[in-house]
Amino acid sequence: MAKSLRLVIAVVVTCVVAATGLALAYGATKDRIADQERRAEQESLAAVLPEADSFEPVAEDVLAAAQDAAGDADCSAIYEALDSSGALIGWGLRVSGRGYGGPINVVLGLDSTGKVTGVTILSMSETPGLGTKVQSEPWFLEQFTELPAAFATEDVRALDSISGSTKSSRGVRAAVEGAGRVYAEVLQARAGGEQ
Amino acid sequence: MAEWLRTFRQGIAIENPLTVLMIGLCATLAVSTLVQGALFMGLAVVFVLTMSNIIIAVFRSVIPHEVRIPVFIVVIASFVTIVDLTMHAFLPEIYQFLGIWIPLIVVNCLILGRAEAFAYHNRVSLAIADGLGMGIGYWLVIVALAMIRELLGTGRIVMFERTLIALPAGYAPPGLVLLFPGAFIIFGLMIAASRWLGERTERRKERC
Repeated sequence: MAKSLRLVIAVVVTCVVAATGLALAYGATKDRIADQERRAEQESLAAVLPEADSFEPVAEDVLAAAQDAAGDADCSAIYEALDSSGALIGWGLRVSGRGYGGPINVVLGLDSTGKVTGVTILSMSETPGLGTKVQSEPWFLEQFTELPAAFATEDVRALDSISGSTKSSRGVRAAVEGAGRVYAEVLQARAGGEQ
Repeated sequence: MAEWLRTFRQGIAIENPLTVLMIGLCATLAVSTLVQGALFMGLAVVFVLTMSNIIIAVFRSVIPHEVRIPVFIVVIASFVTIVDLTMHAFLPEIYQFLGIWIPLIVVNCLILGRAEAFAYHNRVSLAIADGLGMGIGYWLVIVALAMIRELLGTGRIVMFERTLIALPAGYAPPGLVLLFPGAFIIFGLMIAASRWLGERTERRKERC
């Protein structure tokens, strides 16, 4: 009995000390981590919508509708892009597509007609040097800005992939296709309503 | 002191965790595509290994034999989480690259192996020597592997957005080097090279 009690105490004491240490480490880094993530997202938004002055998150119900429309592309955030007078000029969407090494998180800018203003990759875990070509070869992300306004899935499928990075290219395309569905089903109506 | 140095050297050369013991290979092959990433991966392993060795050696007489493994895992996991949070806060780009491989240090058999085989049976000073020796041994090999793979696979070595070495522009990097098969082939050649070096020094010693 005394023996088993000793075992329990040893494990409990270890866990309590470890948990205290972790709580301290978490407290010390929490703000910085949140700050890093916010800054990375703001930088991506500014890069895809250079004309916007500020970004406001859309209402919960709009995001919920967008999530249904996006399906697999997992639309996790939508920001309204406002110019200096506060008028709506477009949206910044955070969408993702399944690449070779995991989800590729993409920030994509749309103007009010549904034309892509820019695409950047927020995070991905693709093979460095192969899958990461979707980011390091500039033409690949730039070609999305040549899509017509209110583009359809077929328009995205007609674009080029990078040889050797087929699955990574497909992941980025899937994210953009999702954004197209979000625009067609949710955002287009809102652009008309507010003009 | 002589014993300390011997233990320290043991990890770097005679019992190098990667080229001799061949433990913890999975993460090594996965992250050795970029020198910058491998550098911090090695650093994380040195830190976790040394700290967990210290804690386990200090408390080795009070950790009951029957529950030693859960206690080791909790200690190791705590240090790994501290590394994970710190990297996320201060080195976001490298954290992004290393991704899942940082939390996976918890289950790296190198760390648990040294806790069980060495730190649990030795005094603190030797446990530090073992942690540092094994850690630096790991570090040297993973960085060397990453240098070969990054140079041959992308044609240049880039650190903190600065190109250190670049191969001539006409070089078309074979993608294979960056994939797992390439990693195995290059790593096999490295093991062969280190064996050859080891045997050569052995033979010299005999001659003297």
